[in-house]
Amino acid sequence: MAAPLLWTLLLSLKPNDELLRGTQTAFSAPYTLRNYLDILGHSAVFGWLLNSAIVALSVTAGVLALSSLAGYGFARLRFPGRDALFILVLFGLAIPEQSVIMARHQMFSALHLHNSYAGLILPGLAAPFGVFLMTQYFRAMPRELEEAAWLDGASRFKTFWRILLPLSLPAQATLGIFTFLSTWNDYWWPLISATNSERYTLTVGIASSQMNFAQTNGLGFLMAQAVFASLPILIVYVIFQRYLVAAVSRAAA
Amino acid sequence: MSAASRAGVAPALLMALLSACSAHTAGPVQITLQRFFGACDAQYAGSTNVAAAQGECGIITTLVNRFNAQNPDVHVKVNIVYWPGYDQLSAGLAAGDPPDLVTLHQSVISDYSQRHLIVPLDAGLRAVGVEPASFTPAARRGVMRGGHIFALPFDTWAPLWHINLRLFRTAGLVANGVLVLPHSADELLAQARQFVRATGKPYLVQSMVNEPSAYARNLFTLLMQQNSDFFADARHITLQTPEARRALELFARIYAEGLTTKHQDYTAATAGFLSGQGGVYIVGTWMIDTYDDAAAHPGSPLSGGYTVVPFPQLYPGRDVTYADGHSWAVPTKQRTPAELRAVFRLLRFLTDNDFEWSRTGHLPAFQAVIDSARWRALPHRAALAKLVDIAAPLPTGVQRQFLLQQIISEEMQAAITGQKPIDAALADAEHRVNDLLFNLL
Repeated sequence: MAAPLLWTLLLSLKPNDELLRGTQTAFSAPYTLRNYLDILGHSAVFGWLLNSAIVALSVTAGVLALSSLAGYGFARLRFPGRDALFILVLFGLAIPEQSVIMARHQMFSALHLHNSYAGLILPGLAAPFGVFLMTQYFRAMPRELEEAAWLDGASRFKTFWRILLPLSLPAQATLGIFTFLSTWNDYWWPLISATNSERYTLTVGIASSQMNFAQTNGLGFLMAQAVFASLPILIVYVIFQRYLVAAVSRAAA
Repeated sequence: MSAASRAGVAPALLMALLSACSAHTAGPVQITLQRFFGACDAQYAGSTNVAAAQGECGIITTLVNRFNAQNPDVHVKVNIVYWPGYDQLSAGLAAGDPPDLVTLHQSVISDYSQRHLIVPLDAGLRAVGVEPASFTPAARRGVMRGGHIFALPFDTWAPLWHINLRLFRTAGLVANGVLVLPHSADELLAQARQFVRATGKPYLVQSMVNEPSAYARNLFTLLMQQNSDFFADARHITLQTPEARRALELFARIYAEGLTTKHQDYTAATAGFLSGQGGVYIVGTWMIDTYDDAAAHPGSPLSGGYTVVPFPQLYPGRDVTYADGHSWAVPTKQRTPAELRAVFRLLRFLTDNDFEWSRTGHLPAFQAVIDSARWRALPHRAALAKLVDIAAPLPTGVQRQFLLQQIISEEMQAAITGQKPIDAALADAEHRVNDLLFNLL
């Protein structure tokens, strides 16, 4: 499992002209940090990193907030059209992004939201999977917990905020990790919404800095970019490793 | 765009330019340039030494830096996009916020010009002293649509025969210092067999796996050489012809007889030629410098033994090679006169520096550079100069050429490698391409 990662790291430490002659040269000196210096020497790269962080964290926070509220509503509240609305949300799981991207692009054009953080963040907040996950989680919680709180005089929101939300932290962790990772790695929407390089996310930015035929003439640089772009993800993984493993297990279940 | 409306745009553009001459602006006028060719700020950020820059990225970066330094009243903001960047261009156009200047392959100009998404540049270029007559014939063919210039040509590139001279000498294909190249398909096969017998290596090095365009480019060249009218109109391709069959049979024979490398993608083929795996690598102008550098290094399989020539004429019809090129187009949008003036001043600057760009290996787009001693003094350029006369794009008006090349390449790969009969592949390619073109808006 570690072999592709080690191979990527190894190639990233080789001069590009050496790799042009063949990747077998990866196993012998010379090695260099030139490819990493070339990335860091690009003045825009830290801006792209910041953009990615802002977008990924905002989308994650937004999805957690909205999905928790919506999930609680669907699981616990009774209101006209609830089931129909829930089914409508479930339909969202079956609609691929490709089928709505043009309409969404036009809508954001009309609202002048392209090349803005709002334009990058808002589409990610519509998360049917998150609503579904949180609904199922809240449904599985014993009603007695809420009833006990109500007996103590707690309001519905206070019950949600103080009792159910803390108990849903494992689901929140699952949803948060997946949302952060998918937003961080997203390429397509930032590509067509953020056409101004100052609003590029890291994925779009590092792709743009590749020369033509980078896989041939700049393989070391390409691999260094892959390592650089995945570093924040690796950090997230190391910090949240315990939750991530649990999240995958829960998702599988 | 109708002739009448085109005729109206040109004077309007000129008027805007002229009126801009007297316009007063408080600060630098900012224009946005969208390009591919990658980023190389680590080496060239702030550098204006164009002559010292190397490669596409280095040269274009220093050119823009120099323009900004020489024109304090203008600031060119560069948006670098992942090659080829047309998704971002289309997105920008759809959002009403396209760049002021954008790199376009000449083969995609029709996709934009027919929808009026880029503006004709005739009047604007003339106003800054750039005459279409100064373009090379190949460049003019590449950027003209309906009698109008829709982009400033920057270069012309074509598939070339990159040759390992050391292996050619071993194979007896250098006679009295003169390269022996085929003049017919039969000669090609005979020389390739001779090469394999003498060297034990394949004659051709080819990118054959995940290859989106090389097959199609070779086919176009061989069809043009046979005077095949395979695009009688821009929305219909005709591939079920004896000429197309002959071309495919040639490459299928080369494959079946082991006269070519097999199972290599672009990266493997590029590295394979560099390491002496075969005699001829058919690839574009952009590899000249890389291989020339290798030839200058003792110990390299190409050391002292590399040359490059245009695609040989294999059929008696005419000497021609399929070609494309890079160009600069101006997307349609509202601009102030000052912005327009800045755009055309930059285009003039790029014109004046076409020699610097031609150091990338691409052919210059201007005849004066082709005729100049300094360009001909660059390695191998004199032998390639005739390309500006024989290089030809697909007929103007053919749209979706990238996708079209991919479709044809898929079918050709299937036929050449024996996965599909040649006639079936040609029929499928023809049907798929025509289906694509028929459904264009």
